[in-house]
Amino acid sequence: MSSRIEILNDGGYRSDGRRQYELRSIDIDMSPQGTADGCAVVSHGLTQVQVCVFGPREARKRAETLHDRAVLNVEVGVLPFSAGERRRRGRADRRILELAASIKSTFEPVIQTSLYPRSQIDIFVSVLAQDGGLLQACINATSVALASAGIALGDLVCAVSGGVHGTFPLLDLSALEEGDLPNVTVAITPRSGKVTLVTLETRLHVDRFGEVFARACEAGRVIHTEMRRAVRARTSKLVDAMGAGTKGTGEEDVERDVLMSEINDF
Amino acid sequence: MASVSLSKAEKSFIQTSLQATPPLRADGRALLDYRTVLLETGVASQANGSAKLNVGKAPLEGGGGTEVLAATKLEVEDVENGDGLDGGRIVCAVTCSPSAYPHLSSNALDEVQYDLTMILHQTISHQTLHPKNLGILPKKKSWLLNLDVVVFADAGNVLDAIFMAARAALWDTKVPRTRAIQYQAKKAGSGTGSGDMDVDSGNEPGHGLSGFDTRDMARTAADFELPDYWDEGEVLDGRDRWPVCVTLNVLPSHHYLDATTPEEASTPLKLHLAFSFPTDQPCHLQALRLLGPGELQLPQLKTLIADGEKYAKELFTALESKLRDEDLRRNVKARDKFASR
Repeated sequence: MSSRIEILNDGGYRSDGRRQYELRSIDIDMSPQGTADGCAVVSHGLTQVQVCVFGPREARKRAETLHDRAVLNVEVGVLPFSAGERRRRGRADRRILELAASIKSTFEPVIQTSLYPRSQIDIFVSVLAQDGGLLQACINATSVALASAGIALGDLVCAVSGGVHGTFPLLDLSALEEGDLPNVTVAITPRSGKVTLVTLETRLHVDRFGEVFARACEAGRVIHTEMRRAVRARTSKLVDAMGAGTKGTGEEDVERDVLMSEINDF
Repeated sequence: MASVSLSKAEKSFIQTSLQATPPLRADGRALLDYRTVLLETGVASQANGSAKLNVGKAPLEGGGGTEVLAATKLEVEDVENGDGLDGGRIVCAVTCSPSAYPHLSSNALDEVQYDLTMILHQTISHQTLHPKNLGILPKKKSWLLNLDVVVFADAGNVLDAIFMAARAALWDTKVPRTRAIQYQAKKAGSGTGSGDMDVDSGNEPGHGLSGFDTRDMARTAADFELPDYWDEGEVLDGRDRWPVCVTLNVLPSHHYLDATTPEEASTPLKLHLAFSFPTDQPCHLQALRLLGPGELQLPQLKTLIADGEKYAKELFTALESKLRDEDLRRNVKARDKFASR
């Protein structure tokens, strides 16, 4: 079935009508869920991920804590009805553990863990719907959720997936494209211009890698502006809700943030 | 269910205020009031039916409340070689997100999950509720209906929420239409012909069956196909039968509904009652469970069940009207939706 669908047709359109470098629509919802300290539901097209952040708080087991920094605990749950075919994955499933490990290693250098010694930060990821770009959605949602929990971050981490069709790089792959193309997921911190994650599960020609990588880094910056817009909208709404007395200072804060980001922008 | 640590003083404070005249609750509700219930169907794009339910969310996009997502997914099962049952079967599972119980270890979470799964599965997959249209080919193929319920947040009364969400998801479920197919030699072989006759005595033995006559095909057909049709299929049978659950929290003198987590922790006895209200039939009590260290006299239990039926009926009627509203909302033609924009 998939062999008959053209990944990129002669007119330069992909199977879902996007252009080569076009991202799927991004939706970021930061409204609180349950008792979580920070929460975000991020969807990239039909892929939807919800992340709840608890902490920094006292660890359940005292032995797990570190005396000079916070410990990250990432748990991923994939809902059985999120994919086309129903499949139950336990908590100890390999793919899930791998996903959790890559989220953890992505955020360990970004979260300023030394500010929260002897504490634990729990990140609970639930995958609501998957249509390609799962790791990318998980990382973006985690970034926003951490920000909404008020945890000190060096920067928002922005991830995007890329693939190569023939000699053409494509961005933000859907499940259909992901099955057919060599793909790479790149996570960057746009302010410092650093890359925190690159994963490649399939084979990709070394000459092509550079181009995909550069495009993905550029796309990461686009996602960064989207995230910042969402975080700022949410924050200004909260500041407004706090009442007229604090309104002035709140706006100043937002202004200062704009200036800072302009200085740091590429 | 959720083990919150509550001091003795807090417990007695909650208990005495519940038993005061007039009874007082922290959120100002009366004893028999439910919190606001929010429901939306059709939330999971990859499922055959789904619903998201929240009990007690704070107004103006605040958080909180018990949040539950239920979805059904249909799979084809082989009756002869696989573990399918003739006429289909239903399997329910409850998953608790660790964010619902952040203080529990993963083993304790598994136990909570297992407990909730057992209650839901035993009630929903009972013979008396089995829908008629889960069979595909008799003795060959049938549908397996997987009902998955995910608890995202628990702010008390999680079982009522699970049952409501399950009912909404099952109500929303569409079973794909199937058509039996069979490859036949030009002249029907004597073997299959006589087989037909045994089953259907109305057929004259002399008549060859027309190739267009598919009426009896389902009995002999080897396989099925999914005809291309404009909708996703027909609704799952027995829409009106799926049960609703009410939890009566029993104090020595009286009982109350829809407890929050601290109230749950300070109540000695909980009575879960699941009722089904089929149209044109008297209601059925589908499940009963009594939990907690308190005790109850038999006559008391009888009155509690009678009361529970009354509350369940109210809940059922409200849920039914909401589900009909949702059906209307989702079946608006695209053209009308565009015009109203």
